[in-house]
Amino acid sequence: MAAKPTSTMEKEQIFGMAEKEMEYRVELFNKLTHTCFNKCVEKRYKESELNMGENSCIDRCVSKYWQASD
Amino acid sequence: MASAEGKNQSAPKQEEKPKIEPLRLPTMEEIRGQDIWNNCAVRSVVSGVMGSGLGLFMGLFLGALDNPIMQEEMTGRQQFIYTAKQMGRRSINSAKAFAVMGLVFSAAECIVEKARAKHDTTNIVVAGCVTGGTISARGGPKAACAGCAGFAAFSVLIEKFFDRHD
Repeated sequence: MAAKPTSTMEKEQIFGMAEKEMEYRVELFNKLTHTCFNKCVEKRYKESELNMGENSCIDRCVSKYWQASD
Repeated sequence: MASAEGKNQSAPKQEEKPKIEPLRLPTMEEIRGQDIWNNCAVRSVVSGVMGSGLGLFMGLFLGALDNPIMQEEMTGRQQFIYTAKQMGRRSINSAKAFAVMGLVFSAAECIVEKARAKHDTTNIVVAGCVTGGTISARGGPKAACAGCAGFAAFSVLIEKFFDRHD
């Protein structure tokens, strides 16, 4: 009968799962930014700020990506 | 000796590792502040106000250049007041016209760009056509078409001029 509810092995397992989850999330975010940037922003920069068309494109791209991946 | 060498080896390793800066996402206030300029209503109202200012100045300028209708019985001071009233009336008319132009153009461009999600010259063409059409809609469909084409061409030229200038 275990005195503490989680032994060291389970703690390590939980920690490993959290780490994997974190890596997955970070990878998702990076892929999301790269994909939507390549899709929405023109390569020749005419001004430094995101104009309105790019803003709405990024909104739609992120929303679709999120829905598709979750 | 070994410990000193170990220390020397560990210090440059720590210096080689690049300092990773944390990701700074914008706060809600920053996002809201930037989103004000993305709002179509705000943009078109600001454009309308700027257009009315421009129209005011242009009307004053052109009214001053206009030939005064001299009536002989009026004294100099009366002529001055009459000319000033003419200038004021003309500048207010011009301000109204330019305000409508700026408002309609900005609103049309904003809506079209938001719908297409692209920053192109076709947004300018459509917005120019809508503006020209509404301004010259009183003359009938032919005048509306001519106004649409003319204003669209004019706006494309102005936009290209500003892009090259920047």
